[in-house]
Amino acid sequence: MNTNMAVCIAVIAKENYPLYIRSVPTQNELKFHYTVHTSLDVVEEKISAVGKALGDQRELYLGLLYPTEDYKMFRKLHNSFTDVMCNPFHNPGDTIQSKAFDGIVSGMMVQTA
Amino acid sequence: MSVPDYMQCAEDHQTVLVVVQPVGIVPEDQFFKIYKRIASVSQVNIRDSQRILIRYRHHYLPENNEWGDFQTHRKVVGLISITTCATSKEWPQTAERFHGQKEVYSSTLYDSRLLVFGLSGEITEQQRTDVAFYPSFEECSDVEKRVEDFVESIYIVLESKRLDRATDKSGDKIPLLCVPFEKKDFVGLDTDSRHYKKRCQGRMRKHVGDLCLQAGMLQDALVHYHMAVELLRGVNDFLWLGAALEGLCSASVIFHYPGGTAGKMMGRKQSISQPLDAGKRHRAGALTTNGISADTSTEIGRAKNCLSPEDIIEKYKEAISYYGKYKNAGVIELEACVKAVRVLAIQKRAREASDFLQNAVYINLGQLSEEEKIQRYSILSELYELIGFHRKSAFFKRVAAMQCVAPTIPEPGWRACYKLLLETLPGYSLSLDPKDFSKGTHRGWAAVQMRLLHELVYASRRMGNPALSVRHLSFLLQTMLDFLSDQEKKEVTQSLENYTSKCPGGMEIITLPDGLKLPPVPFTKLPIVRSVKLLNLPVSLRPHKVKGLLGQNISNASPFIYSPIIMHNRGEERCKKIDFQWVQGDVCEVQLMVYNPMPYELRVENMGLLTSGVEFESLPAALSLPAESGLYPVTLVGVPRTAGNITVNGYHTSVFGVTSDCLLDGLPSVKTSGCLVEVIPALPRLQLQTSLPRSAYTPHPMSKEELSSSVSVQLFNGETQQLTITLENIGSEDIETLELTSKIVSTKEKVFGEFLSWELDEALSHLPLKPGQSVTLTVNIKVKLDFSGQENLLQDLNDDGISVTGLPISSPLRQVLKPRAETKPVGSESSKAEYSHIKTLEAVLNFKYSGGAGKVEGYYRELSLGVHVDVEPSVFFTRVSTLPATSTRHCHLLLDIFNPTEHELTVRAKNNQDLVLHASECQRMAIQVDKFDFESLPQPDQESIRFSNPKQLEEERQHAQGCQINSKLGICWSIPSLRRCGEASVEGVLNQLVLEHLQLAPLQWDVLVNKKPCDCDVIADCKVGDAVSLEVKLTNRSKNSVGPLALNVVPYQDYQNGVQNYDLEDGVTFIGSNTFYIDTVKPNESTVCEGALLFLYTGDFYLSIKFQDDSAGRELPLAWFTLPSVHIRALDTPPQAGA
Repeated sequence: MNTNMAVCIAVIAKENYPLYIRSVPTQNELKFHYTVHTSLDVVEEKISAVGKALGDQRELYLGLLYPTEDYKMFRKLHNSFTDVMCNPFHNPGDTIQSKAFDGIVSGMMVQTA
Repeated sequence: MSVPDYMQCAEDHQTVLVVVQPVGIVPEDQFFKIYKRIASVSQVNIRDSQRILIRYRHHYLPENNEWGDFQTHRKVVGLISITTCATSKEWPQTAERFHGQKEVYSSTLYDSRLLVFGLSGEITEQQRTDVAFYPSFEECSDVEKRVEDFVESIYIVLESKRLDRATDKSGDKIPLLCVPFEKKDFVGLDTDSRHYKKRCQGRMRKHVGDLCLQAGMLQDALVHYHMAVELLRGVNDFLWLGAALEGLCSASVIFHYPGGTAGKMMGRKQSISQPLDAGKRHRAGALTTNGISADTSTEIGRAKNCLSPEDIIEKYKEAISYYGKYKNAGVIELEACVKAVRVLAIQKRAREASDFLQNAVYINLGQLSEEEKIQRYSILSELYELIGFHRKSAFFKRVAAMQCVAPTIPEPGWRACYKLLLETLPGYSLSLDPKDFSKGTHRGWAAVQMRLLHELVYASRRMGNPALSVRHLSFLLQTMLDFLSDQEKKEVTQSLENYTSKCPGGMEIITLPDGLKLPPVPFTKLPIVRSVKLLNLPVSLRPHKVKGLLGQNISNASPFIYSPIIMHNRGEERCKKIDFQWVQGDVCEVQLMVYNPMPYELRVENMGLLTSGVEFESLPAALSLPAESGLYPVTLVGVPRTAGNITVNGYHTSVFGVTSDCLLDGLPSVKTSGCLVEVIPALPRLQLQTSLPRSAYTPHPMSKEELSSSVSVQLFNGETQQLTITLENIGSEDIETLELTSKIVSTKEKVFGEFLSWELDEALSHLPLKPGQSVTLTVNIKVKLDFSGQENLLQDLNDDGISVTGLPISSPLRQVLKPRAETKPVGSESSKAEYSHIKTLEAVLNFKYSGGAGKVEGYYRELSLGVHVDVEPSVFFTRVSTLPATSTRHCHLLLDIFNPTEHELTVRAKNNQDLVLHASECQRMAIQVDKFDFESLPQPDQESIRFSNPKQLEEERQHAQGCQINSKLGICWSIPSLRRCGEASVEGVLNQLVLEHLQLAPLQWDVLVNKKPCDCDVIADCKVGDAVSLEVKLTNRSKNSVGPLALNVVPYQDYQNGVQNYDLEDGVTFIGSNTFYIDTVKPNESTVCEGALLFLYTGDFYLSIKFQDDSAGRELPLAWFTLPSVHIRALDTPPQAGA
């Protein structure tokens, strides 16, 4: 098992609701819901800090919640997310239902046999 | 030390701890009343510049007291005991108890007090500083004063201790201060080593720093702490190094944040003191007098010694990391974390604060009781709340709630659990008001919100409050419907039904004991209503306003006839008044389009309307909507009981045992075209029954609903049928007026005569018609359509060569023409089909009636009866022509009559014999008629002439002429086999030419022979040789002058073989001229010309009177100048009488 793999990946809308959430041990999904939900406090804090310090800068990457080595993961996910957003049939704000996105996420997750 | 004080904050380091406890039996409420009063003395100023802060506890573990040397604010230095004492007998026992209590904290106490209540008498006289007597709990006005004195005495002890410890008694051995768990470690240690001495020194410095801080000497404290840090760092005494660092932090926090870091939670009364004050509090020379560190300079030192806000956090971190090395110092570490978080909260550094909290979560305090766990989670939640991490706060609060009902607890605290769960709602951005969810689609963290709601449901159920669980479950179902899976929907509704079977849900607001109000949850999504439409009454029941009644439209309109400003905006559309009316007492309908979003059948019971304005009796309906039904129309009905304006505000339902009032105001997705309608006062109702069978026919331009009923009948053209209508008053009001009108519905056929006719007077005499009564009315249906047939189809009848139409022939040969019994079957079937073509005639009978209060308001109702008649052809007049009769006053009308029916048919005209026609037979009928004097017909008045065009006038004239002719003819037909009979009209078949022939010429010519009028078949007899006088009289009945004219009389003999002999010069002689001159004859005048003839031989002679030249005003019709032919028989014997 690759230890660098994610167990849960979520995309959250700016209005604080999940656009996409998927976790690998599916039997305890709610636990991940709670984890992601509570971690948003930090995100919120970071956003408000960015707003104050940098004004209207385009850098939307807030950094990692907790330092990990796996930096590429975000880029990959974000690229795929951009693709989803570029889909003319996708309505921003709707939950993400994309096979391609699903595929990317699956690739990043822990494979449980 | 195992119980952390989560309420602690950095500035607590400067307080002294006083324990207030009851001794013996003290009523709890009284104790806390006194405790509150004591606690109000939180700060005492001593000698103006000095102040001391006090922290009161009514409960303190002696175990914690043992850490008093480590941090002096943990040391119980004062004890106030409160006791009651009824009699002086009890006093010694009480005093004993007080001493016992003192023993508990004896190692640390500076001073103590005993407050005795209820005792009076001589004992109270004794002067003891440590005991105060009060007769009762009410009479103790100087408690505060006593406490202040007590605090002052504590201060004195504190100050002496400080001075005592701070004084460097060189040579004396500085004792080693230690925490309880260290004691065994130092057994047998070399007390003379430099390392040990340094350790002792460092710890003592730290202790002195604590005392300075408590004594209000902030600056000194900072200096001591700094030195302690230096010393302890050198000997790696980490626990105490941590304490020294924390002391440094506390002192700096007190300096930087004089307002305190506890925030609202502690509610401690803090004196407003500026940082400068804190500096001033430092007594000049205080340090120099103690002589321990002469090198400290006050002013420079302050800035240097005090930590910057950033450093405070750094030092806290360091201190905590040192505490972390000791398993037994968990409480200290935890409390330090909490204190640091509070400081960070003040500094608004939420993220770093969360790091501290994160650390605090993982501090293991060994086996915690369930209660301690709950406390710990709650405090974590509160701290997260403090730094604005609402989600984490909610998370921990929820964990705390779950802890309240952990399976290991013998008596789960469902109430506490429920209360805590409620507090987590904001953290999950959830409110319990369904209105917050009605705006657009719900976008929240559904998974966690649903979980929380489920937990609320469960907790409230276990609390034994089913109403509450029904409310929460309803809320869950209403707001989370989109997120529930089909299975979950089923489960939720099933449990809801289970709950409501015991406690039905309603619309009342549930108020919780703590004041929280749970608004009702109307099920606006079960079912979903898409549109609400108020329906008009059925056409027959609609009220109509009598036109022209004053004040109808004027009252509510604006003073402007037209205004471009639209009086209402879109938002008010719901309030828009609908332009029809409902009637009091009559069932009114509202149509809802509903939709069942559930994956199974939805049973909605007791669905009715919510209205305001007038008294309204709603008649609720129960419906069952199939799964995922799609739009489904539902009609809700009710009866308005009073008149006025009614507003439909919404509807109520009962689903799964929960009754809901759904107001349209809260449902922006519901489409409606207005909900305000006027209810007018009651009107009567009329029901109609007819003698003829009802039919499903609907006149084309009318919709089916516009007719209350319709009758249909089959008639032959010209037939008459009676229709009996029974009108019954089935309402509750008297019918006071009744009017009947009829209207023929656009037909292409030309109708002759009156289609529908009736006599209303008989029915009207029965008015007013009481409820339940009925009245009958007879309406005659008379169909008279065009009887003309197409000529071209029957050309074969015209081959007899006697077509005389329009020819001014007065041949004697024609006069003898008799009606021919000529039978010619129609050749082809197709042409027959043409003739049997059924025509339809439709009309509407309109009954206008009114009565009761509605009539007073000027309303009436209309009941319409459609009359549908299939008209089968009876006879056809395929051709019409005239033949002049022998007299110019008469004329023969020739009618070719065709029988298109399949029955034998008899045709009869006035004064004529019957004509029997077999099916599809055509025969000619000749009827002798008097010519008509159309001029005598009533002329249309001037008014109508002016307003109608000439063509119309001409048509009217023709119509009037047709009528006259028809009435003269009186043609009837009958079908004996069917026993049907009717009239036939020639109106439609008469053309202009025929009419002219039938018209009595306005120029009336009279020819008199021997003074006897000579006309037609009259043969004038005369004697040969006698002069026969001939008189021609012209009477002008036309409107214009006629003439002058010249007439030429030509005699001739007819041999009856086609030869006419005009060569009679020797047979007939004119006496005088054979030419008459007539001068201009004015209207209504007459002129007479006379002449004479002499017949020389016997014989039959004819006189042809001709106009000599045609120049005389030929614009007049030829027929006007037709003179009768004169037949004279000249005899040589005198005429016998009666010849």
